[in-house]
Amino acid sequence: MVIERRWKKWVFFYIPLTVFVLGTLFPFYWMFVTAIRPDAELYRSWRAVNNAPFWTLQPTLEHFRDLMAKTMFPQWLWNTFFIAVISTAISLACGLLAGYALARLKFPMAGALGTSIFVTYLVPPTLLFIPLADIVRDFQLGNTPWALILTYPTFLIPFSTWLLMGYFKTIPKELEECARIDGATRFGAMTRIIFPIAVPGILSAGIFAFTLSWNEFIYALIFLSSPERKTVPVGVVSELIRGDIYFWGQLMAGALLGSIPVALVYSFFVEYYVTGLTGSVKG
Amino acid sequence: MVSVKPAGRAGDIRLAYALLSPALLLLAVVIAYPVGWEVWTSLTDLSPLKDGSTGFVGLANYRRLLADATFWQAALVTVVYAAVTSAGKLALGLGFALLLARPFRGRALVFLAIFLPWAYPAGVSVIGWYWTLNPPTITAYAPFMGQLKYAVDGTFGIGAWAFASVMLFNIWRGSSFIAVLLLAGINAIPQELFECALLESRSAWRRFRLVTVPLLKPFLALGVFLSLTSAFADLSNVWMLTAGRIVFPVIGTHAYWLVIKAGQYGPASALSLTLVPFLLAVLLVLFRLFDPPQERSTA
Amino acid sequence: MAQVMMKDLNKKYDEVHAVKDVNLHIRDKEFIVLVGPSGCGKSTTLRMVAGLEEITAGEITIGDRVVNDLPPKDRDIAMVFQNYALYPHMTVYDNMAFGLKMRKFPKTEIAKRVGEAAEILGIQELLKRKPRQLSGGQRQRVAVGRAIVRHPQVFLFDEPLSNLDAKLRVQMRVELKRLHDRLETTAIYVTHDQVEAMTLGDRVVVMKDGWIQQVGEPLELYGRPANRFVAGFIGSPSMNFVEMTIAETNGALWADTPGIRVKVPPASAARLGPYKGQRLTLGIRPEDLRVATGSDPADYSFDTVVDVVEPLGSEILLDVKAGSNVMVARVDPTVRAKLHDKMRLSLHPERVHFFDLKTELAI
Repeated sequence: MVIERRWKKWVFFYIPLTVFVLGTLFPFYWMFVTAIRPDAELYRSWRAVNNAPFWTLQPTLEHFRDLMAKTMFPQWLWNTFFIAVISTAISLACGLLAGYALARLKFPMAGALGTSIFVTYLVPPTLLFIPLADIVRDFQLGNTPWALILTYPTFLIPFSTWLLMGYFKTIPKELEECARIDGATRFGAMTRIIFPIAVPGILSAGIFAFTLSWNEFIYALIFLSSPERKTVPVGVVSELIRGDIYFWGQLMAGALLGSIPVALVYSFFVEYYVTGLTGSVKG
Repeated sequence: MVSVKPAGRAGDIRLAYALLSPALLLLAVVIAYPVGWEVWTSLTDLSPLKDGSTGFVGLANYRRLLADATFWQAALVTVVYAAVTSAGKLALGLGFALLLARPFRGRALVFLAIFLPWAYPAGVSVIGWYWTLNPPTITAYAPFMGQLKYAVDGTFGIGAWAFASVMLFNIWRGSSFIAVLLLAGINAIPQELFECALLESRSAWRRFRLVTVPLLKPFLALGVFLSLTSAFADLSNVWMLTAGRIVFPVIGTHAYWLVIKAGQYGPASALSLTLVPFLLAVLLVLFRLFDPPQERSTA
Repeated sequence: MAQVMMKDLNKKYDEVHAVKDVNLHIRDKEFIVLVGPSGCGKSTTLRMVAGLEEITAGEITIGDRVVNDLPPKDRDIAMVFQNYALYPHMTVYDNMAFGLKMRKFPKTEIAKRVGEAAEILGIQELLKRKPRQLSGGQRQRVAVGRAIVRHPQVFLFDEPLSNLDAKLRVQMRVELKRLHDRLETTAIYVTHDQVEAMTLGDRVVVMKDGWIQQVGEPLELYGRPANRFVAGFIGSPSMNFVEMTIAETNGALWADTPGIRVKVPPASAARLGPYKGQRLTLGIRPEDLRVATGSDPADYSFDTVVDVVEPLGSEILLDVKAGSNVMVARVDPTVRAKLHDKMRLSLHPERVHFFDLKTELAI
């Protein structure tokens, strides 16, 4: 019985889990190996002597050095960070207020307004980039971070509103009723009682928004043109690929470094993220 | 007897609109106005490359589209792309979520690993895939991948390899998100229900089919929904993975090409708007499957 | 310290008429309990007093102010909720101080009042803890403490003991009563538990379907229920009801149904005159039934068969059948009764109630 159970556990749990995780992580490993592989080893035959396809014999940081020194990568990092932080802040503020109103207040057309905010999440960039390009040009925002800071809320606000609305609904109504009896106004109860309690939900919405704006590609590709203005995803792709020449080592180094902020955010807040998400979807 | 105006209520209504106004205002500027602009433009021959005034051309852009073989090909590719990737994402995502549903040592780490593909900037992780699947000829393992590519292209036609790699990438990335969504769903199901099911039936498959799936239905539906809509409207994944050299255009990339390369705003707008029926169809089907979250706000 | 007046109070939701023409005068320092089954409108009434529900029609006065248009914070009330509603991100001290801070009390005064309240409730050691570190009973005390530091004009309690286990509930009930005696503040208390209502209330308001059924002191409700609903709701086990026909035999009125035939007690006979030849409902509490002995008058006795025996220690509950009528009798623990035993029961003639069949009002 015990033996059978152990056998089952291997077949149904450990082996599939290992396969999944390996499949998930292999591209990252491959990027990593490429990033620390010297050019001499990168560009030579599969069958060459002393070749090790899945690891490297002479690890080097040369590509990272080149990336930092010869490209505008540090500037791209800063651009991306700046844009992601500001658009996240704007969207969170809007989502927080709108989510609260939709979750807690009774008012005419609540259902219609909630639905319309949610539906905007489904309006894809493919539909929007043409007119937005025109607007950006009209307001002469082209090639500035503001072009992106203004457009990212198109997908950030609906999602954070929805997520936070769900989270607010999991907070017992009595808490703010009690606060209102205790002497707070509706607004006061919201800011002093409900928002502090909703911190896990707010963090998870914030992480989500930050990731989405950090990773965004199409708008950044269309709205930013000069190299020193670009964000990491666009900069790496467009500046390190010249025609048919790929600077593979640097590309991979950039790909790894460019994701560090997001990775950090997740590893610190992953607990909050899951509780926040669970809270939201429950509501 | 004495009918009194509800003071608290009126205050609530004012507060509600005040709280909603920033979000609504911003969305009106960046969504409602652009969509309106786009609908109008799709009826004109607007182009920055063309001098002189913009003319109203009625439904000409749409008529031309419907007669265009490229459009029909792009539409077909889009549908196949959306269907295949959604199925793949859902299957893998559900697998992940079920494996992670019970606590075990190192679960947090595995969770992080599984979430990585989604959290990782697609714009850069896609390069890793490109590098893996389409290596330059001088690279060490290029001959091997080259042979694979020719085998696939030989069997399914030119471009199949590129298309398959886009789908693989999309599934790899998307299943990660679906897994997290479903995991959140599983967490939201009371543990007692699973325990009760354990008493009722010894067959794990029956428990899965009769208890887990029905309880997860809203989350599954939401997953399918987000996955289908994002795939229909996909532009960035396809563009990125093929670095703009698109062999199999989907509707999104086709529209992008029309605007950026050809400057044809009118036809491009019309093309983008042909996505709307797709999106609405998905929306309607899923509205029937589950009450979307915002519907509950009125309860 | 204040009285609370409700005048023609009504609450309508879209389709539900939750509270109907409630008129109630709650005196200063009175402890009044609203009781009734769920959905009877008791909580809605309380929430209207609190200002959490808009008043559809009517008027509420607290002290000498009409409060219809006042937001909750300006009504000078404090409320204790069923789920305690403690702010999870604040310590016990901050929870209790919140209301005073919002009203801009000086720090020293806040510390003094919180200290006093904590002492009264015996929660001094808990002040630095967070609510999640407390047991149910402790949370309940904190919730009460948070209400009393404010020295409000009126306390509102919304089923505050429902989430506690039975033993703790009895203990807290006693403490609440003692607290009220000490603070002498007007209190409105909502519960679905008639024992809580009877033990705590100076007066009890029984509600059903949005209507007030009866207002009165606990013993008044028990002894002279205004209608069949109140009679059945107050008292445990609840009153037995038997549908009977009134008939005159030899100048006296008799209540008659297959299996039971008892004389109408002389005290009620005059009122029952008009019901001659008609059917009505007879009500008798389980404690007003006993095993008949030779000295009991035969006019008030009838034969039954024992159906269920429930020994409780201090007493025995007998479920019996008389004809097709099912009744419960609360009898002395010394009674030896077995299933299917024949047993002759006798009812207390002064404690028989009669209710009109249609209006259900007491006759």
